[in-house]
Amino acid sequence: MLDTVRIVFAKETLDNLRDRRTVLMSLIYPFLGPLVLGLLIVFVGKMLTAPATQSFQVWMDGSERAPALVAYIEEQGAVVREAEGDPRLMVKAGDVQTIVVVPEDFGDLMAAENTARVQVVVDSTRLSSIMTLSKTLDMLQRFSRTLGEERLRALSLNPELGQPLRIETVNVAAGRNIAAVFLNMLPPFLMFAVFIGGVYLAIDTTAGERERGSLEPLLTLPARRWHLMLGKFLASLVFTALAVVGALVAYKLMFEMVAAARVGINVNPGVEVFAKVFLVILPVMAFAVALQVIIATVTRSFKETQTYLGLLPLIPSAPGIVMVFVPVTGTTWMMLVPTLGQSVLVGQLMRGEPVDPLHVTVSVVATLAVTVAILVAAARCYEREQVAFAA
Amino acid sequence: MIEVQGLRKAFRNVVAVEDVSFVARDGQVTGLIGPNGAGKTTTLRVLYTILRPDAGWARVDGHDSVTDRTAVQRRIGVLPDNRGLYVRLTAREHVRYYGRLHGMRGAALERRIDELVETLDMASFADRPAKGFSKGQTLKVALARCLVHSPHNVIFDEPTNGLDVSSSRAMRDLIRRMRDAGHCVLLSSHIMAEVQALCDHLVVLGRGRVAVQGTPEEIKRQTGKADLEEAFVSVARPGQPADEDVPERAYA
Repeated sequence: MLDTVRIVFAKETLDNLRDRRTVLMSLIYPFLGPLVLGLLIVFVGKMLTAPATQSFQVWMDGSERAPALVAYIEEQGAVVREAEGDPRLMVKAGDVQTIVVVPEDFGDLMAAENTARVQVVVDSTRLSSIMTLSKTLDMLQRFSRTLGEERLRALSLNPELGQPLRIETVNVAAGRNIAAVFLNMLPPFLMFAVFIGGVYLAIDTTAGERERGSLEPLLTLPARRWHLMLGKFLASLVFTALAVVGALVAYKLMFEMVAAARVGINVNPGVEVFAKVFLVILPVMAFAVALQVIIATVTRSFKETQTYLGLLPLIPSAPGIVMVFVPVTGTTWMMLVPTLGQSVLVGQLMRGEPVDPLHVTVSVVATLAVTVAILVAAARCYEREQVAFAA
Repeated sequence: MIEVQGLRKAFRNVVAVEDVSFVARDGQVTGLIGPNGAGKTTTLRVLYTILRPDAGWARVDGHDSVTDRTAVQRRIGVLPDNRGLYVRLTAREHVRYYGRLHGMRGAALERRIDELVETLDMASFADRPAKGFSKGQTLKVALARCLVHSPHNVIFDEPTNGLDVSSSRAMRDLIRRMRDAGHCVLLSSHIMAEVQALCDHLVVLGRGRVAVQGTPEEIKRQTGKADLEEAFVSVARPGQPADEDVPERAYA
């Protein structure tokens, strides 16, 4: 038995190493995830870095009507700029992120010590304007408070009278909150790499072999069919594992580069975390390849196989994508579901949270059991007469 | 020796072969002939263990193709109609792969590969990847890999299909040499000239059944025709054309 498995494994590995498409799929594709994630971290990091008050620009419409406000803003070190044109259009067009509009009656109401109105025009769909908006609002609120205190003082009243509540925010996440979102993106990205890494080889060695007409002569050889299948399965598994290792190395390098770039998002799990992640998802790789082999065996053509296997990665990635925004606490039943349990575990490992050994055991055993069941079913499919013939 | 008795095989509701019986003896070339869809390929596929018969049996050197599959597989060399190659492997690697799956190893295997490269005149392309091989070159590789374990019985499905004149002649020479060496050769064909030149025993299939069998001379005598092609047409297509390609389309 081992002989046949080994011979088929060696042949398929050699054959596919010579295939540029398989190698590209296995080695280049997994690098896309880290690349996208790296760019995202740098971009979001820059976006979320609070702008310095020095040389911060406050765009205003009708600034001449509010000299006190302008003076206050300039006192803080920021620069006031007058918007030339319709503020709404300018913001909509993205020329500026926010504009403070001072209405005609501002001066009169202020002089009469009444409540004057200012508008801050913003386009909330532009995520990049979040920091500018909050900075601008902050300045306006502080100006309003200072003015109110002055008015109370003029009436010989305690300035704190008008401020019954002082709000302080204590963020225990200490800058890691946003970083966790990025770590949460790793499980779906990794699941994708698992289901893409060896897929071309799985198709080529089964559906491809049938379509080329080389499966029929192969099946006339004195070898058990499930041994042939196992050799092909193992070759695909090795390519998948290589792709996943490549992806993990790329993620580690990406985190190192992001850390070096100092964009304000501090995430960089250690090498040992990545090693643990690899071990945790190893059973999923076997599961993924087994699924690919059986699909490539029962489908009628290469094209049909490609269609199904192209869609397949979306299913295991879906729960992970949801978990990016709604992190779940791992429960034992989740560990029973291949890919779901591992998505939870990888997320926990990446975030540096404690991992329940029972959960790891359950996920490994459950996934391997399902994998063996799929392989047994695939072996049965290999015994069917139709297996040798293309549609 | 290859024996087939009472063979029946249907795909869903389409009967491909029905009650087919014949014997292919050692030291003889046995030809399975008939028009397209007569059941030649189905019969051969049962023999080389790819299909299971619904009724009857097929034996190779006394081993049953269903209950003793591996023993049959060891004793046959098969050139199926599907003779696809692996485009990224060289000719030599193809033969080595099959040899290894037959349990051959090391120097003995390499010697056998050299021998086949020599016999089949493959030296000029033996170490080239199969991508872009001509039909003749593809056939030689397919032949070499099916003969690597020196099988006593060989089954060739349409061996000269799509070959040019010189490749066809080389193929016929090889078949004669194998017969003279005492091998049991079973081939299918629908080319009468080829059949007449090669076969010692003919099994004519029409519509999934054996229409007539015997030596070419016996068949001519039985059908009362002077020419084998005439005889063939008269038995294979009695009255109307049998043009439904049953086995080929059975899995579509």
